[in-house]
Amino acid sequence: MVTVDATDTATGSGLPTPARPRGIRPSRGYRVFQACNAIVLTIVVVVTLYPFVNVVARSLSDEQYIIGGKVNLVPLGFNLDTYRLVLNDSLFWTNYRNTLFYTVVATAISIVLTTCYAYVLSKKHLRGRTALIGIAVFTMFFTGGLIPNYVLVTSLGMKNTVWAIAVPNAINVFNLLVMKAFFESLPTDLEEAAAVDGLNTYGILLRIVLPLSKAIVATMVLFYAVAFWNSWFAAFLYMDQQELWPVTVYLRNLIAGATGAENVGVIAEADEVQADATIKAVTIVLTTLPILAVYPFVQRYFVRGVMLGAVKG
Amino acid sequence: MTSETLRPPPPAPPGVPAEATVPAPRAPRRRRTWRQALRRDWQLYSLAVLPLLFFLVFRYLPMIGNVIAFRRFKPGGSIFGEYWVGLRYFRMFLTDPTFWDVFTNTLVLGTLTLLFCFPLPIVLALLLNEVRARRLRRFVQSVSYLPHFLSIVIVAAMVMQLTSVDGTVNQIVQATGGDAVPFLQRAEWFRTIYVSSEVWQTVGWGTILYLAALTTVDDDLYEAARIDGANRWRQTWHVTLPGIRPTMVTLLILNIGNFMAVGFEKILLLYNPLTYPTADVLSTYLFRMGFGSSNFSYAAAIGLFEAVIGLTLVLTANLIARRTVGTSLW
Amino acid sequence: MLHRSWRRAATAAVAALLAATSIAACSDDPSDAKDLSENRAGAMADYGIGKQFKASEPVSFSILYNNHPNYPLRDDWLFWKELKSRANVTLTPVAVPLSDYEQKRSLLIGAGDAPLIIPKTYPAQEDAYVSSGAILPVSDYLDLMPNLQDKISKWNLKPEIDGRRQEDGKFYLLPGLHEKPWQDYSVAIRTDILDELNLTVPKTWDELYTVLKAMKAKYPDVYPFSDRWSKPNPAGNLLNLLAVSYGLQGAGWNFQHTSWDANAKKFVYTGATEQYKQMLQYLNKLVSEKLLDPESFTQTDDQARQKLANGKSFVISANAQAVVNDYRPDLAKTNPKATISKIPLPIGPAGEVNPASRLENGVMISSKARESKNFVAMMQFIDWLWYSDAGQEFAKWGVEGTTFVRDAAGKPKLAPDVNVIGLNPKAPKHLQKDFGFYNGVFAYGGKPELVQGFFAPEEQEFQKVLNARPPVAVPPPHPLNDEEREQASLWETPLKDAVYQATLQFALGQRNLSEWDAYVAELKGKNMDAYLTMVNKAYDRYQKDHG
Repeated sequence: MVTVDATDTATGSGLPTPARPRGIRPSRGYRVFQACNAIVLTIVVVVTLYPFVNVVARSLSDEQYIIGGKVNLVPLGFNLDTYRLVLNDSLFWTNYRNTLFYTVVATAISIVLTTCYAYVLSKKHLRGRTALIGIAVFTMFFTGGLIPNYVLVTSLGMKNTVWAIAVPNAINVFNLLVMKAFFESLPTDLEEAAAVDGLNTYGILLRIVLPLSKAIVATMVLFYAVAFWNSWFAAFLYMDQQELWPVTVYLRNLIAGATGAENVGVIAEADEVQADATIKAVTIVLTTLPILAVYPFVQRYFVRGVMLGAVKG
Repeated sequence: MTSETLRPPPPAPPGVPAEATVPAPRAPRRRRTWRQALRRDWQLYSLAVLPLLFFLVFRYLPMIGNVIAFRRFKPGGSIFGEYWVGLRYFRMFLTDPTFWDVFTNTLVLGTLTLLFCFPLPIVLALLLNEVRARRLRRFVQSVSYLPHFLSIVIVAAMVMQLTSVDGTVNQIVQATGGDAVPFLQRAEWFRTIYVSSEVWQTVGWGTILYLAALTTVDDDLYEAARIDGANRWRQTWHVTLPGIRPTMVTLLILNIGNFMAVGFEKILLLYNPLTYPTADVLSTYLFRMGFGSSNFSYAAAIGLFEAVIGLTLVLTANLIARRTVGTSLW
Repeated sequence: MLHRSWRRAATAAVAALLAATSIAACSDDPSDAKDLSENRAGAMADYGIGKQFKASEPVSFSILYNNHPNYPLRDDWLFWKELKSRANVTLTPVAVPLSDYEQKRSLLIGAGDAPLIIPKTYPAQEDAYVSSGAILPVSDYLDLMPNLQDKISKWNLKPEIDGRRQEDGKFYLLPGLHEKPWQDYSVAIRTDILDELNLTVPKTWDELYTVLKAMKAKYPDVYPFSDRWSKPNPAGNLLNLLAVSYGLQGAGWNFQHTSWDANAKKFVYTGATEQYKQMLQYLNKLVSEKLLDPESFTQTDDQARQKLANGKSFVISANAQAVVNDYRPDLAKTNPKATISKIPLPIGPAGEVNPASRLENGVMISSKARESKNFVAMMQFIDWLWYSDAGQEFAKWGVEGTTFVRDAAGKPKLAPDVNVIGLNPKAPKHLQKDFGFYNGVFAYGGKPELVQGFFAPEEQEFQKVLNARPPVAVPPPHPLNDEEREQASLWETPLKDAVYQATLQFALGQRNLSEWDAYVAELKGKNMDAYLTMVNKAYDRYQKDHG
């Protein structure tokens, strides 16, 4: 059987193009649908893009126009002063480096552990499999409280190290089960053929299964990386020095410190936080952009039909 | 990989539910003993050692701390509490009428969120899948997941701006001849506002898993469907949807189990005493009780209560899924 | 096999956890509390009022540090160097972001991992930690703190301090002390509009109503009063100002369930009093005549600021910093002719009062400190830095000749090359950011001259008016015991919710004030009477035991 959908697989990247026999005109109804679809997706784009353009515009605007409520999509009183101000703060850079470091280490650990366990759980013949799944699912609902967790991490000597962030959150059960579902939908005969060829379990996982699972591994990298990039609570709990904080704690202190105080009425004079609207916007832009850049790299793995070609070809 | 690749017939038609798959050739006809299983699969078990260690140390060990739901805990005293109080904290909240009010609100908001936030990503993923212009498709995709990255503080501020008396929504209302409504002061509007903002925030991000799942749907099935004369709609219905069914079911079950966990921070920023009747949920109520600073026992008791509900829901959903569509978590 | 190993691991871990967290019981035996012979390392034998504390050997104390985003912690601050050279003390900070300071404090104390010195604790926040013995009853050690004792007696702070005593008659918090109450919050008014309408600054809430009415007559399209500080407590400031002006203990962001009725000698429920009803009538009048923006109760601060900046409102809640940092710069950019000032707190039916408390946030001491050989030195150090005139001046102004200079009268004045809160905007260095002084962790309270040191003349004028008013009476102590406090915490939230919800409904006209009795009945249904009985019982008990 020869693949008809030559164009898409040949170009290799991007989403699967819906296969359509060449030379046959699409039906009228389908063209109407395509038009409606374009309209719906345009609305989605506009609605989701607006706040981002707005934040970027604010970050480049003069404070006075923001207070006047005038900044929408175009920066008014264009200037880069606030960027310069934030970028000159050495603590911001220290914390930024921490975020990168923590994200990379934690994501790596998570991917390894999650992949191993998900692969084991996907083997239906395995004795004790239900118990192994149950052990994971149970922890989605029953968790230890804050204090026991803190005592545990502290007594393991993980405080003020990257391990306090990476290890206690290494496996997200949600991600684990999604990955397991993906592994289960992979064809089993390829693995069996590999086993007959003399590959052991580790070899099968590394050489057969993972190459077929680029899409899910990429998705998991994205999910874990984004979660670790955005997380602040673990760092807040376990990092006693500001030089160890990730940039999320820096940002939260800047924004939530100004808005979240329960007892604003009684705080002491020296404690008032007055973060300018532009500083908030700049910090948001600077902390969000890098993680946004990950997505295009993930996208390229979303190619339908990649699995069989990869093995046989 | 080339376009001339020869492909073997699909090993298991994706339409056939995973659980109902014919047992793999080497699958056991009868239960193996542990000794046999270990000898045969020790490499697989070895892969599970580290993850299991993780669960035992970082998930199950701290759970011992939950005994404070049955013991009097004093901040600064023993982390396992001072003395037994039996079911006192459970009785406390079970007999508190406010608890039941906020519990109901939690259920309603959770259900509404599930009803809207679960199916819409599937729809969006399918729509994206139909877009033929590759650039446009990638652009829409990249943009739609942006809201996931906005901090709740900013989302809440935007919602408040939009729904204020001179905000965009009221401008539209007035343009169409209506009177401005102070939406955030009206309890009957809170659910709409909350669910809409949830949809906006999660729908694009939610497509990612389905797009990944779509990669496992084999082209040959579309080809076969076309030869049978199926149009796009029927191809979607008979090939695409069954192909991503395992992912859909997994996500649905997980979402059902999780639906008590409504967005605490967002509600906290959007609600006010006037909207408590519909907006106040368990987590915000506990927050106002100041459990964070003092009554850890009470919070632990409610936490256990929630966990039992969540676990029951997941087990039930899983059972129903297995009985009806044949796909399940395990 | 799995099962067994899991159980063994669990047992081992429980043992480890217990060992890690066990806190030596704090003995109540007074003789033990007084035997300090083992704890005098580094202490001064002749420490007293007017003496510079200097440890006889280098000592170091851990401290929970509230890290402010405007002046993030730096190791090279002159403040730390001077502490070392003046007092021979090194502080080792555990840095906590200001945004979530309270949560981390609660966690650290709960886990038995708290530093010895726990500052930035507001009065009543210590209550939760008393019964476990994790916090030191500092009242047992007042003899180590001569400056603190001196200030309490010289400034007549006994009633305030007694209000902090727990059921055992001891207090657990070293509060910040003000000689004079310092009321910062009031409302700000566009004075150019007042001039335009030939109006004078309103002195009472009723006059404010007249002013708002006149503004509305001239500008029918605006809500003259649109308020801020509504997150998370709607109209947090406005409700509190009104409540104290009507003779109640507090409302809004200073929500007080009970108010002291001096005539009846008992506590009454604030939200069910006649005064509270009158205050709601006043608010309802403002809203129904479209003088007060109904969105005041739910909008964000930014929305309220925008309305003020764009001339959509003329009156807003304010403190000194908000006027200088927010309103004036905002208006300067949108309407250069506009002027705005904070007016002295309007007077209500309760007459002239200064409602501010003279107690500030303060310091808790971990019980573990008692076992330290440097315990006495630590208490002396705290007494010097936080309570002596010299220590307070040092923490606020810094080092003479470097960060400040004295004028002919000996009054401190910022050095010309040092800036703080915009006083020397062109100066290259910043008192907080570069030197670590005027730090919210260390510098607060004190004599009016010190408190008002950085105030603009305008604010000093404001304080002069308010200081002429008598301070509000302090309610008598009524400490709850551990069980009562737990019960109270379960009653208080539903009660507060009911009061707050009804307050907004009455104010906004969603509910008619003729339904007042039905509302009070609702409160009764939420255990109001039982709650009051408990509080009054605690008051009687304290009177009997310690009165």
